Amino acid sequence: MTDYSVPDESVITGLTGHRFPGGSYTVEHWENALLTECTGAELLPNGMVHPVALFHMPIFGAGTSIAEMFALGQAESDLSIMIESYDWEIFMPLKEEICYSISGEISSAERRNSAQLNVHDRIQFRFEIYNPEKIIAARSTITWLYTRNTL
Amino acid sequence: MTPAVGDQIPEWIMEHVSAQRMRTMAALLRDPNPLHWDRDAVAALPFELGQRTINQGPLGLSYMVNMLHAWAGPSCIRRIVMRFPQVVLDAEYVVARGEVMALREGPEEQLAECRIWLEHSERGVLLEGTAVVAVPSLA
Repeated sequence: MTDYSVPDESVITGLTGHRFPGGSYTVEHWENALLTECTGAELLPNGMVHPVALFHMPIFGAGTSIAEMFALGQAESDLSIMIESYDWEIFMPLKEEICYSISGEISSAERRNSAQLNVHDRIQFRFEIYNPEKIIAARSTITWLYTRNTL
Repeated sequence: MTPAVGDQIPEWIMEHVSAQRMRTMAALLRDPNPLHWDRDAVAALPFELGQRTINQGPLGLSYMVNMLHAWAGPSCIRRIVMRFPQVVLDAEYVVARGEVMALREGPEEQLAECRIWLEHSERGVLLEGTAVVAVPSLA
């Protein structure tokens, strides 16, 4: 097992409030078709986007990436991340070929210690998706655990 | 459909979790994590998972989405919160299940609060969470 240095707690807690650049994202038909097929479902009617897009669509639309989110928390490796939870709030169905505006931030970042994981960091990312009329369409909250020296 | 508290949501079955779909998903998500496409990387972990790739969290969650859509329609989901106590592995047979825990009137619709989970016959509950779903009103 490689021995990694654990980031200072202040560096982790200081991530709270970090805002991503923001931007926009359009789910095209081909992408929705592939995503939906991966879930084992048929395409939804009327150009609706399968909700599984609520994971990556806000990440990309906010101007970040899974790799950057790993790096912000100083993940020891891609393998060291555990999912605590995904929380998807859907205020209106998302549609293909519609350009949504997206904002994102780190809503909380804290150090924790548990019997199961020992010292680890819990980082929560919150993204909001707005339709062209600036009405919120969905919110995605991702909570990951950055384990330290477990692998 | 007129739901009642205690109703079981009809199950949704994924007969064979597909490693190929994980690879497609990894590409779409630009997800660099090799656990989703490299069986050797998974086998090297100290968890005795064998030569099998690990399903992306959103894909496991999507099986519950599909169950809820089949039950209450393609635009029924208002909120879904999911935790991931165990991984889902390629080639597994898993079943999405759910139960209506409460009914309440929302501003414009009746809402069912549901407990939902993904089950494996030997390993038990792999994913678990809650959903708020718009359902036809009793009124």
